[in-house]
Amino acid sequence: MKWLLAALFLAGAILVITGPPWPVPTAKRAVFSGSGRAILPMTFIHNDHKGVSCTICHHEFVDGTTGLSCINCHLTDPKVSDIFETQFHDLCRTCHMDEQAAGKPGGPTRHCAACHLPDNQF
Amino acid sequence: MIVLAVIVALTFLLTFAGGSHVGAGWFWDTGNALGFVALAGLLFQMIPYARGATTRRHEILGYWVLGVGMLHAFWFLLGDGAVWTYLRPGAPLAMWFGLAALVVLAVLTALARMPDRMRVHRRFRTFRTVHRVLGFALVAAAGLHVMLTGYYLGRWVQDVLFVLLVAATCLGRSRWARLGQAPIASGQTFVALGIAATSAFLLLRNLPW
Repeated sequence: MKWLLAALFLAGAILVITGPPWPVPTAKRAVFSGSGRAILPMTFIHNDHKGVSCTICHHEFVDGTTGLSCINCHLTDPKVSDIFETQFHDLCRTCHMDEQAAGKPGGPTRHCAACHLPDNQF
Repeated sequence: MIVLAVIVALTFLLTFAGGSHVGAGWFWDTGNALGFVALAGLLFQMIPYARGATTRRHEILGYWVLGVGMLHAFWFLLGDGAVWTYLRPGAPLAMWFGLAALVVLAVLTALARMPDRMRVHRRFRTFRTVHRVLGFALVAAAGLHVMLTGYYLGRWVQDVLFVLLVAATCLGRSRWARLGQAPIASGQTFVALGIAATSAFLLLRNLPW
């Protein structure tokens, strides 16, 4: 048993160091728009969200906030920058979960790499 | 065996207590089902009972729990490139709790291995105290990992039920003593129950209903 555990640990350690033996799309944190903070890339396809009201995400359309891009403001504004990850995860995931629970085609719910890949289709 | 089966069943049922059976794909749900199997095994191991002659069973099952816990952690690295960031600074707090739980589980298991534990702890009472404290730290870390990730236990009712399950399994020595004998389960039973629960979890979440 102990040898089995040791082999499993060794295999895991090798996996951590070298990565899997087959190609897997990877996502690395990078500084976004000069915010000074490294975050994971995100894929967001507007066309896939045609049925969703713009103001669900674009609160600036309602409250008149102006500035740079959404993420830039959310990363640099001290009022929201600490909860950046939680805010975006909650917004996307809750909606995707509700859609899927209602039997509609929703987006990814948990799988990290389903969203966190470089965006080519914004 | 029945006690373990009940704990495995309750742990997995908790993930459905929010009323949603939304899946995240076979790969992702398999990895997380492994985590819930390890968690259920951990809760079973935490049952406060003077184990006496069944200590060896408890020890061997601990190795299985550690093995499944490691499988859960390493599984995601096989197919999700974004999970790599969870091994680096800047990872969400929930993932640090997960990593901490795995490290504490490994330490707890290694320090309890007979006969080596006799060299580390001369007195049984010292060993028991250290083992129990590490066990509580482990359950706390693993529980926070599950609740803070919010992947399957995202609603308050699930969190409350989960805390009740943890309290019921980790506390109440006098209540558990009414069983008459220490609850035991073999590694094979644990694996069989884990496979059954994982299969049900995957099918319920990923087949179109």
